[in-house]
Amino acid sequence: MTLGMNTGMKKPIAAIAMRVAALAMLAGLAACATAADPGAMTLAAPQTAAAPFPTPLLHAMCVRDVTGGEETNPLWVSKVDNAGFKAALSSSLDAAGLSAGSGTCAYPVDVHLLGLSQPALGFDLTVTSHVNYKVYDASGQPYALATIDAPYTATVGDAFIAVQRLKLANEGSIRTSIQMFFDKLRQNHPN
Amino acid sequence: MERIFLKGLLIACAIGMSGCAAREFTAVAMTQPGDDQLTCAALKQQIADNSAAEAKFQSADKEVEQANVAKGIGSAIPYVGIAIAGSTDLSNEEQVKARALADRNQQLAYLAKQKGCPQ
Repeated sequence: MTLGMNTGMKKPIAAIAMRVAALAMLAGLAACATAADPGAMTLAAPQTAAAPFPTPLLHAMCVRDVTGGEETNPLWVSKVDNAGFKAALSSSLDAAGLSAGSGTCAYPVDVHLLGLSQPALGFDLTVTSHVNYKVYDASGQPYALATIDAPYTATVGDAFIAVQRLKLANEGSIRTSIQMFFDKLRQNHPN
Repeated sequence: MERIFLKGLLIACAIGMSGCAAREFTAVAMTQPGDDQLTCAALKQQIADNSAAEAKFQSADKEVEQANVAKGIGSAIPYVGIAIAGSTDLSNEEQVKARALADRNQQLAYLAKQKGCPQ
């Protein structure tokens, strides 16, 4: 089908199309990176009846230490920092009924964020978080040690701006990681 | 000029379409099946092997970081910058593997202590 354009009109339209495409790409690349949001990394209370946690863990856990996170450089890419991860995991423990009251933590959790595997560019961005969760009992012995690799993909439909999409992928990956950690805790032999 | 721009745009789109995905790998688990059966000699050997591997990964991680800084600067070059940015390695593979081995060694050292192995 022809649109009935003469060659004189085609050139300006092509130039405009290229400019629009270039602007769209710049919009995708130029935004400043922001750190992952703890609220978006928090696991909500399960809506369906999930397997129960071992009774001793109920209202007996707390997050003691989180290491390995990185601060976000606005000119680079979104990262997950220690404080954000700690807030997200603490809120997730709360929502699951695992948080201990103040001074009654029998099962402290230490988290080591080994790193985030992020793509440099792309439409669908998959981030995989690699996290070691170490749960100790009241005597200081390891109760559960879990190494969890958790992938999550954010699509253009989730966010058009690439830096925002990467942030969503980071947050989704940590949320998935916490979910997988909780699944391990639900098992009798979490190791 | 317009043609160069168009080529640059096409390269950028090709990168975007293919996606510069991070390399897939898994971290070494802190605990592994059969750990309880390890003898003191086996524990000592594993700890030594892991420490050597950890040092190599740490060194490789520094090289990747330095290369990424150079690529970050290169990404400002018109037209080809996006291709350079696309080659940035954000997989953190070496860092993850080094840290995972350090944690693994912590657990092996704990097992050695539990077994009363000589230091």
